[in-house]
Amino acid sequence: MGPTFLGVRHHSPACAALVARVIDTLRPAHVLVEGGADLNGRIDELLLGHELPVAVFSSYRDGLRDGSREPMRHASWAPFCEYSPEWVALRAGRAVGAAVRFIDLPAWDPAFASRRNRYADAEVRYADVVARLCAEFAVDNVDTLWDHLFEAAPAEGLQERLAAYFDLVRGESDATEEDAAREEYMARWVRAAVADAGERPVVVVTGGFHRAALIRLCDPAASDPAPAVWPEIPTLPDGAVGGSYVVPFSFRRLDAFDGYQSGMPSPAYYQHLWDHGPEGAARELTRAVVERLRALRQPVSTADLIAARTAADGLALVRGHAVPSRVDILDGLASALVNEALDVPLPWTARGTLAPGTHPAVVEMVAALSGERVGRLHPDTPAPPLVHDVTALLERLGLDRAGPVDLDLTRPDGLERSRVLHRLRVLAVPGFARDSGPRTGVDPVLTERWRLSVHDGRTGALIEAGAYGAVLEEAAAAALADRIGAAGSDVDVIAAVLFDAALAGCAELSARLLEDVVRRVGSAPEPAALGRVLAVVLSLWRHDRLLGTAHSDTLGAVLAAGVTRALWLVEGVRGPGLPADPGRIGALVAVRDILVHCGLDDAVHSGSLAVADRVAADAGAPPDLRGAAFGFGWSLRGEASSVERAVRGAFAPASAGDWLAGVFALARERVLAAGGVLDVLDDLLAGLGEEDFLIALPALRQAFTWFPPRERETIAAHVVARHGGAPMSLRLPEPADLVAAGRALDARVDAVLTREGLL
Amino acid sequence: MSVDGLQRPPAEVRFAGELAALRDGDTGDRPPGWALSLRAARTFILGDQKAGITRKFVGDPSLIDRALISLATSRGLMLVGEPGTAKSLLSELLAAAVSGDSTLTIQGGAATTEDQIKYGWNYALLVADGPSTRSLVPAPLLRGMAEGRVVRFEEITRCPLEVQDCLLSPLSDRVLAVPELAGTDTGGTDSMVFARDGFNVIATANTRDRGVNEMSAALKRRFNFETVFPIADFDTEVSLVAQEAGALLHRSGVTAEQRRDVLEVLVTTFRELRTGRTGKGDAMERMTAVMSTAEAVSVAHAVGLRGWFLRREPGTPADIVSCLAGTAAKDNPDDLAKLRRYLEQEAPRRAGEQWKALHAARHLLPG
Ligand SMILES: Nc1ncnc2c1ncn2[C@@H]1O[C@H](COP(=O)(O)OP(=O)(O)OP(=O)(O)O)[C@@H](O)[C@H]1O
Ligand SMILES: [Mg+2]
Repeated sequence: MGPTFLGVRHHSPACAALVARVIDTLRPAHVLVEGGADLNGRIDELLLGHELPVAVFSSYRDGLRDGSREPMRHASWAPFCEYSPEWVALRAGRAVGAAVRFIDLPAWDPAFASRRNRYADAEVRYADVVARLCAEFAVDNVDTLWDHLFEAAPAEGLQERLAAYFDLVRGESDATEEDAAREEYMARWVRAAVADAGERPVVVVTGGFHRAALIRLCDPAASDPAPAVWPEIPTLPDGAVGGSYVVPFSFRRLDAFDGYQSGMPSPAYYQHLWDHGPEGAARELTRAVVERLRALRQPVSTADLIAARTAADGLALVRGHAVPSRVDILDGLASALVNEALDVPLPWTARGTLAPGTHPAVVEMVAALSGERVGRLHPDTPAPPLVHDVTALLERLGLDRAGPVDLDLTRPDGLERSRVLHRLRVLAVPGFARDSGPRTGVDPVLTERWRLSVHDGRTGALIEAGAYGAVLEEAAAAALADRIGAAGSDVDVIAAVLFDAALAGCAELSARLLEDVVRRVGSAPEPAALGRVLAVVLSLWRHDRLLGTAHSDTLGAVLAAGVTRALWLVEGVRGPGLPADPGRIGALVAVRDILVHCGLDDAVHSGSLAVADRVAADAGAPPDLRGAAFGFGWSLRGEASSVERAVRGAFAPASAGDWLAGVFALARERVLAAGGVLDVLDDLLAGLGEEDFLIALPALRQAFTWFPPRERETIAAHVVARHGGAPMSLRLPEPADLVAAGRALDARVDAVLTREGLL
Repeated sequence: MSVDGLQRPPAEVRFAGELAALRDGDTGDRPPGWALSLRAARTFILGDQKAGITRKFVGDPSLIDRALISLATSRGLMLVGEPGTAKSLLSELLAAAVSGDSTLTIQGGAATTEDQIKYGWNYALLVADGPSTRSLVPAPLLRGMAEGRVVRFEEITRCPLEVQDCLLSPLSDRVLAVPELAGTDTGGTDSMVFARDGFNVIATANTRDRGVNEMSAALKRRFNFETVFPIADFDTEVSLVAQEAGALLHRSGVTAEQRRDVLEVLVTTFRELRTGRTGKGDAMERMTAVMSTAEAVSVAHAVGLRGWFLRREPGTPADIVSCLAGTAAKDNPDDLAKLRRYLEQEAPRRAGEQWKALHAARHLLPG
């Protein structure tokens, strides 16, 4: 008897139910499941009795023999929930006494190099067909289409319908080389199982996309059928290290794979569908939404609920569903509960993450769909490698006991310990608290003090963190990546993460993440925050030999994106009447410093100067920015045409101080060097009437605070001399020995800084 | 109605053939008072290539589903959204599908009065005979209720609040009182107009106007709100603009077809200034002026006209800049500055000769 091929969508309850039915009916000798064949010895471990969701986490690092490049690393997950067809296949297969096996290539095989989620949809490969089917069935997107055709459709004929769907999809897309390699391998398992089973049935559960190809490859009448012997399980290449572990997973993470890594959305809803059927799922979803809204003190009346249900029933009717489907319920709730204009479309009309501005009630609906379930491992589960890695590290570094730890970051052993502790902190492993050490935006601190304590939650936290990576550095980097993902457009958070990354010694971001950071910095919404971030990043880039971040490519790319963005934002600030804002002036200061120190290309230089010139001359821009833009050009070019005219032109009592604040912030050295400006200012001030002077005074005072005290004293001396006064001291008389001691300290510090390459 | 010479006949006339075909082939249950079943009404708007039904509204199909369900239940339908997102078009199509008639329309405005909504009087007859069914002049609401048809209320938020509220009892009690007829010899039976099946209200409101927030809570509760968004997919929007502007140009006697790459630059510019977000996702400021698809169609039309009548060619990015300067950024210095910044800083970062040309034409902006 030929094998039964069940092509499924991963995480589909309809498919899972079909798998269970077929296996129960056929009672096959073999059940073959898509999943890494290297796990075949450990299926017992998977079936220990965990609370789902759990995932098989696989990590891999290739051999690095000549040191010519960084090792290739790869981490991926194969998540299972109760309604995963693969999971159901394992359990149902075991229950009927079948031999149960995984038949796909291991997670570390190059065929999975770009995958983080083994059970992602293959949809990128068939976007065109799906778009056409959506148009034909008049539904919004692939998830709604799927519900319509399978989850909300009657179970009769499901198997044939699935086959027709996937044949259509496969027929119109180009399978990749990776697909071909995997299918060729899977087919060999099928052929061997069929040969072994003799007359008894064989059931094969794989992603629907592969079904047609497997049927073709396993046809004994085909021109070159796969050989009918059990294939070998690939072993890791020489020198490579890797492994797979069962780790706890969560609905939130299941729902958080983005883009083409994502699978079916809305785990909590499908769990209800699996547990209670469509009526029950509708009821549970509605209940969860109402509970959430009421917890937020959003009233939901009985009349609203009746209206929602009526609408959902009506929608099911128009759309041809016997019982309201996921989107029917959601649409009904939205119709009944939202009676105002929305700022962004309902999230279930498209795929992807929740857009900012989503209506609060809709946010709760989506949260209710996603759910909060967190999986738990059976106590007998072997611990993931991270637990062992960290235990060994702490022991080796003498960090495995309670008490204070003082670290000197200038010494290699101090730095290594610091990085390990920061990595644990980043992973939120309890028991590692830092009392002092380097922070953003302040002078370098070269020592760190930590307080270690024994904490019950440590092992649990490490097991959970084990899903981020097999070794500490990798796991910390992945957790930081997660934080960047969650930062949204909040660039201050991004700056904090970059700083943490530097402390943890994970400053070189992966290309994908770097792109993400660059994109977010490149779309920062306002100049002041962007200026702060750029200042942090620039200081990491320039000075932090200590943290190993000096001249890093990551930071360089962030800086370049930040410059472009800052200039764009600066040119967009309108309002000739706006008061000075040190934040946005700071953005221009940051850009100037970046241009001076980072050697960006000439086009960026000339482009920046052009923006500055336009802003400086723009009557619609706020005076502080016009001044800063003027100072920007002056500072970078080293000269400015007709400074004197510019000063005279900007000298209106109400705005002079703001304008000068901008100029001083960017070009105070030039102001001091070109004494003429001070003379012009002095003349203009002397020419002000009493009233105008009082108007101008507060902002002028603010402007002069950009000069440090010593320079203010120089200015004062210059002005006094100009008016024929005697030289005078503005300082409190200080004992000479104190001044001398201060000088000597300054000189020592300079010498140290120079020696360490920090100047 | 004779279609000849009409600039834009109503939907039920423009698509009479399609409506007839749908009616003939309609096997679904019709909600009471409806001209079509829900599924046929849906097909009328979303199209069905095989059945020869054109797609008339571009957007999420689920929006149409929800709108139709609202109309079949006891709440009215409120279409809200930015200007030029085809709210009026959609309301017209829905009315044509549900009632076979989209002409019972009230145009909201500051001067709209109750008698333009409910009913008025023929004053000559009123003076001669007193109040009677003869001297009564029904307005769209009364007709819609009496005949069981959909009434369209355009730009409802532009009406004074108390005028809006005259919809309250027709929507909740489904009855309209004509107190003037109460004491007449018909025994007062005409003094209460009960809504027949098929009656409902589709209102539209523009989020740029005073807005739906000020609408009375009581009235809001009687509507289901549906927000209509600008077209999400870039290619779809370009195609729609090409098609609609092409039709307009054709009527203006222009025979040169517009270049797709020029229209792409135009539509991109509109989308980015409308959403305040570049295609890459960078945030920028939105323009205050309306940058809708409908506006893009009219600028594309103007670009085509300029190109053709000035130079006998299909229109260039320089024409786009000229047209934008004259329309979108005309009376608003802030918008002009945003547009200038876009042309100065964004345009040169894009690849392609049309973007180069757009950047090069930035000096055509005034000032
Ligand atoms: N999604 C769309 N589907 C079809 N046509 C569209 C769409 N969006 C815009 N259009 C085009 O733009 C026109 C929009 O005009 P319409 O008057 O209906 O918009 P509106 O939302 O009512 O605008 P306003 O708020 O200014 O009244 C349509 O006639 C059509 O040419
Ligand atoms: Mg309109």
